[in-house]
Amino acid sequence: MPRPNLYYEERTPSPLERVWLEFNRNPLARAALYILIFIIFLSMFGPWLTPYGPNEQMLDAISLPPAWSDDGNIRFLLGTDELGRDMVTRIIYGARYTFGYPFLVVLASAAIGISLGATAAITVGVKSSTLKHLLDVLMSIPSLLLALIIIAITGPGLSNALLAIGLVLIPQFLHVTRNAIQDERQKPYVTASRLNGVSDFYLLTMVFFPNIVKVLVIQLTIGLSIAILDIAALGFLRLGAQSPTPEWGSMLAQSLEVAYISPWVMALPGIALFVTLVSVNLVGETLRIAIQKQLER
Amino acid sequence: MRIYVLRQLALLIITLFLLTVFAFCLSYWFPGNPVTNSSGIFTDDTLRYTEAFEARGFDHNILVQYWFYLEHLFRGDWGISLLDADPVFEQLKLRFGATLEIALLAMLLAIIPGIAFGVLAALNFRKPIDHIILSISLSGYSIPVFWFAQIAILVVAVHWGVLPIAGQINPLFHIEPLTGSILLDIFITQPENIELALRSAIRHIMLPVLVLSVMPMMLLIRLTRSSMLDVLDKNYITSAYAKGLSTRRVIASHAIPNTMQNVIRELGSMLSLLITNTMIIEVIFSWPGIGSWLIRSIYERDYPVIQGGLLMIAALILCVHVGLNLIHSWRYPQVRKDLNAAS
Repeated sequence: MPRPNLYYEERTPSPLERVWLEFNRNPLARAALYILIFIIFLSMFGPWLTPYGPNEQMLDAISLPPAWSDDGNIRFLLGTDELGRDMVTRIIYGARYTFGYPFLVVLASAAIGISLGATAAITVGVKSSTLKHLLDVLMSIPSLLLALIIIAITGPGLSNALLAIGLVLIPQFLHVTRNAIQDERQKPYVTASRLNGVSDFYLLTMVFFPNIVKVLVIQLTIGLSIAILDIAALGFLRLGAQSPTPEWGSMLAQSLEVAYISPWVMALPGIALFVTLVSVNLVGETLRIAIQKQLER
Repeated sequence: MRIYVLRQLALLIITLFLLTVFAFCLSYWFPGNPVTNSSGIFTDDTLRYTEAFEARGFDHNILVQYWFYLEHLFRGDWGISLLDADPVFEQLKLRFGATLEIALLAMLLAIIPGIAFGVLAALNFRKPIDHIILSISLSGYSIPVFWFAQIAILVVAVHWGVLPIAGQINPLFHIEPLTGSILLDIFITQPENIELALRSAIRHIMLPVLVLSVMPMMLLIRLTRSSMLDVLDKNYITSAYAKGLSTRRVIASHAIPNTMQNVIRELGSMLSLLITNTMIIEVIFSWPGIGSWLIRSIYERDYPVIQGGLLMIAALILCVHVGLNLIHSWRYPQVRKDLNAAS
């Protein structure tokens, strides 16, 4: 038999719970979160869900409009492009190229950038100050331009574009980690652990890290949005994923020629890209608000 | 202040120096022959090749080579394009004007509505107006600029047929390019039917500038809103109200000037975003600017152009950054003090 709760208890929700409450409060943000989960699901299991191959041409169905228009065919829910390829299939495959790979790249460069940033924050002195100035300069140059420089050296291609974006994002993570640790290092709890005589490694992983993880999560969403936009932009400029790859940006670039006769070929990858970016940004924004509220308490 | 200016200028010079070192190294990192990569003269043109080889000091060690590279750089001899043998520096000068033209116009177009809507949203914090402005700005900020430009072309230029699709001006007009910026060129050369030419140029420039201004406008709205909210929480706003000032005076002479401090600080990162978007927009609208040339040269592997274009754009961004830092610290002395205290 459950005991009745006689006393009024003030229960403080845990940080994660509070983030969830913030998402619950705002229906748009919740929708964005679900969309994001759906896109992650698509980019993992997409190939098993699609009826056709991404580059499979249906010669009897070229430039079919989406199924709900008069000329549409229910076999091709969102129509086909000028080479008779199914749009649904291509969009689902594209999730992997435009969302999945950048996501992995962001995770990798976050791992590198955060560990480098932590090292830089622990070592103070001339090295650190030159590093700061260099980083400031690097950060002021836009990410797409830096990626263009790297691609100019390595040559166009999807893997080169991914590599370039990964390299470009590292300084940003480095900068954020370094600044966050520097802000925390004067606080009493750090001094206390120092007085306890803990090792540098323990200090980083057990003392600093739980306290800066919020900042890093926000930077992760910013980095993800930059990476998606840049990979699509490079694909659009024909410097990233090359032509038959169903990457949303390069699909947009191909659709330029047929935009007037079959506008859905142009609209669909753009909508997919737009929805993905909005949900990444909205989730990031909500996380930021939730964390800011926790700080204010 | 003087010390701060000197520090910033020294930093600028050092970074520009590093930039030239980097650009010099690029001719080695690119595949192929470094002499060809930096001068644009092929090896089978033996006579000119040996000339370039000696003029650029490739028979000496790498430091001498760098010295000769700098000399060529300052002389304005940036090599010739591998594709059409255009002198890179002259072309870049012309294209620079065209790029700056649309970037600056878009910026100007973005500033006033951006700040106005941001202030409006902050004043109506958590009211319907705020929510509407915020969601519009979030979606406008996430819209990929290349897709937006395509849709704008499809709707405005193709379906309605109100504005031309691409280019700077109707090709029937012959305007001698002097600065690269089409509006300035028309005023300088004074062609016969200047009114018609101007109208055509303005019609051509409208769509790219409008599309380009969306992103900075949305960013400005968000920036202004958040920094205005910070300012409205401050004590001096409360004390201004307590003094009995009208809301309008508090907003106009206390809140907005202090809001601008944060906005100016963030303007730099916004400008670099704007430059990237300008490059993409130039490709879409066939605007003869640096960006479209640079991107074309990357997939044509036109190395002298890549080298020169990167140097120019990066130098522009660095100079703008330092300029903004200086303006910021000149207008807001408390920032200067913090910087000096930290150093």
